[in-house]
Amino acid sequence: MTTTAPGLKAPSGSRPPKPGPRWAVWIGIAVAALISVYCLVAIEFTLEPLVTNLTNGQVVIEQFLNPNWEFVWRVRDQWLVTLEIAIIASLVGCAIALLLALMASKVTAPTALYRVMKIVLAIQRSLPDLAWVLMFAAIVGTGPLAGILALIMFNIGVAAKLTAESIDAVDPGPVEAAQAVGATGMQRARVAVVPQVMPSFVSYSFYVFELNIRASLVIGIGGGGGIGEVIRVQLASFNFENISAIVVALVVVVFILDQLSRTIRRRLI
Amino acid sequence: MSGHAALARGPVTRPAGVPKAPSKLPKTLGMLTTLAVLLLCIWAVDAPWSRLLDAPSAFADYLRLMSEGVFANPTLEPQRDYWVTAGEAMLESLQMAWVGTMIGAVLSFPVAFLAARTISPAPVVAVTRMLLNVIRAIPELIIAIAIMMPIFGFGPLAGALALGVGSVGTLGKLSSEAIEAVEPRSVEAVSSTGGSKLQVIWWGVVPQAMPEILAFWLYRFEINIRAGAILGALGAGGIGSILSQVFRLRNWEQVGVTLAVIIIVTVIVDQISARVRHRIIAGPKGAASEHRDPVAEMG
Amino acid sequence: MPPVRSPRTSARSDRRRSMITFRDVHVTYPTGTKGLDGVSLEIPDGEFVVVVGLSGAGKSTLVRTINGLVPVTAGELEVNGRRVDGASRRELRRLRAEVGMIFQSFNLVTRVSVLNNVLMGRLPHTSTLATLVGAYGGANKDIAFDALDRVGIMEKAYTRASQLSGGQQQRVAIARVLAQQAGVVLADEPVASLDPPTANAVMSDLRRVQRELGITTVVNLHFLDLARSFADRIIGMREGKVVFDGTAEQADDRVFEEIYGRSLRAGDVAAAAVSIEGQQGEPAAEA
Repeated sequence: MTTTAPGLKAPSGSRPPKPGPRWAVWIGIAVAALISVYCLVAIEFTLEPLVTNLTNGQVVIEQFLNPNWEFVWRVRDQWLVTLEIAIIASLVGCAIALLLALMASKVTAPTALYRVMKIVLAIQRSLPDLAWVLMFAAIVGTGPLAGILALIMFNIGVAAKLTAESIDAVDPGPVEAAQAVGATGMQRARVAVVPQVMPSFVSYSFYVFELNIRASLVIGIGGGGGIGEVIRVQLASFNFENISAIVVALVVVVFILDQLSRTIRRRLI
Repeated sequence: MSGHAALARGPVTRPAGVPKAPSKLPKTLGMLTTLAVLLLCIWAVDAPWSRLLDAPSAFADYLRLMSEGVFANPTLEPQRDYWVTAGEAMLESLQMAWVGTMIGAVLSFPVAFLAARTISPAPVVAVTRMLLNVIRAIPELIIAIAIMMPIFGFGPLAGALALGVGSVGTLGKLSSEAIEAVEPRSVEAVSSTGGSKLQVIWWGVVPQAMPEILAFWLYRFEINIRAGAILGALGAGGIGSILSQVFRLRNWEQVGVTLAVIIIVTVIVDQISARVRHRIIAGPKGAASEHRDPVAEMG
Repeated sequence: MPPVRSPRTSARSDRRRSMITFRDVHVTYPTGTKGLDGVSLEIPDGEFVVVVGLSGAGKSTLVRTINGLVPVTAGELEVNGRRVDGASRRELRRLRAEVGMIFQSFNLVTRVSVLNNVLMGRLPHTSTLATLVGAYGGANKDIAFDALDRVGIMEKAYTRASQLSGGQQQRVAIARVLAQQAGVVLADEPVASLDPPTANAVMSDLRRVQRELGITTVVNLHFLDLARSFADRIIGMREGKVVFDGTAEQADDRVFEEIYGRSLRAGDVAAAAVSIEGQQGEPAAEA
């Protein structure tokens, strides 16, 4: 029995139905928790080694904290190679990605084609870059060529998806105008779609270039040449001081590139 | 406006007074420079480009062998062994990626608040952001080799920890941006009821930012599955170790099966994750969020 | 070189030829809604027709079936001797090359110059390869400049489209249609996004160009005063059917109330100064 303030009407009978308890959220949490417990057990999660094994690790960490700076200069050729690999792979990969993106969007491609392309791109993205490097190393031999080809594949995967999403989000007005003029599909894409996605596309290309530099470690370890190759060799001889120096230099380079890339990309969009 | 002849089909004379066209020079120069840089790099990198000629036929051969491995009867040996090995390794990769993402999520959550301009004072934000940027620049690979593996030995535990610490950088940054994007109105509504700062955060900010943050966690899971591959190649277990072995042995049928397992599992996980992320962001109202720059999100 | 056709305005025999013919046309959308319900019309060459009605009454559908943007579900539709219903994709493209369309939201490519937008009208006459590279050729550019001159913004040819005002952008859209050298012009709510004086200026530009070149024009408007002042013939639509078909003089307020099924409101009128023949050769300052 509710008491109402004087002058106020008593609430009428029909209230809107109270929204049900958000069981979807609770189920989600439960599932996540179950999966987490399962995984923790499966990988034998324990923080014990932090206590027991710390001294073991300390040796390595000490070496790491003692970088051999001179080594960075000694392998300067490889830095250049990494840069060259990244440039070639970005330019070639992104150009191909643009074409594929046009084929993978509802806006610019017929239904049959874009569905197939979306699947092809999803499959291509599902392979980690390590797999690509190993594959190309087996085909053309280890070295920068394998690295370039692997990165091209990786770049296509990233850039095509991003660009296709941009194309999907394009203002349909000019596309409709081009259709109303009697333009062919390719003309529509070139005249109404490409100008709209250009800034985004260029932005993605810079992003991809940065990713390529980051990926140079993985590429090199897999046999793709560049600075990663150097790390692989050093790793085999446990020269952690050398590795540490290179890594610090790489981190600095990536950091600077990241800031640069952000500013450029912000100006574009 | 002079009187024009009525509409004629076909060619027309250009009217007087056409404005001057802007110079095409900068654009042409730009394209030529890019081309020049590309050619320079191709020459400088000194790669055996001639090998590209043999590549397609070799690739076709390997592809054929790989598909033979995939489509052969999976119940017979040695195919069964290939599928089982690859499956187990993939499962380990998934577990490693899940734990890694979980660690990253748990660690990055409080940090994100420290890095949010709307919550923390400016100097704290600046320092935290700088720290996050540094962590982001360090490849997980190095965290694994330098810290995790010496202490925790080989195996997925070290890999998970490396992925976890590595994820803190990106997740922290993205989560802090999601927190900053929370509409101040909802925060005001809560703080006007007179709660402590912590309560305001919990009731006002978290519910708004959570869907986006959850979506980031899920997306990071997808990335960590792939990032785990290279860790595996160095001994952290999972699909990475199998991959390097299998390619070294040049057993193309097994390569085919292994790649097939990776593709199938990754695509399925990606699809599920994409759908869940969509549902989370769309929310109970079913409203879609506006299109944001996905590159900025990826950090 | 294609033969130059004689100016249409002087060919009296052409005038009564039907340019657009609807024969019991029905349009049902995939959602089940009826867009057009048994429409039969004949629009002779060179006429300026305005279609009015409530939103959802079918006026937009009517205009968009003419160039096939909305497919016809039943009935026959002929434009300039070509059958639109059941046309193949290639036939539609050929038809659309001869039918120009301007839109409420202008539909220009904003990041690109005015000239390039107008050149879009020449796409059916440019090879795909040339389009990809952006080499339209001198002849096409001549036509584009001529079109820009006719609407009075040739000096903006190299300006980015986004830097123009709404009225100017719609003029570029008209120029695009002129560059097509189309025989029919369709306009789907061309002035709904413009303020009254600009709307007036654009409508009078459209009318002037139509008079000069004798192009069949079908315009979709919801401003009744504009409809009355600019149209030769007004077609009123309600629930997919034609409920009024007569001259502008015959369409008084009572007729409009019948078409709309309600009394007129302030939003139905563009207000501002209504001109009968349009400002000859002097477009409003910012338009």
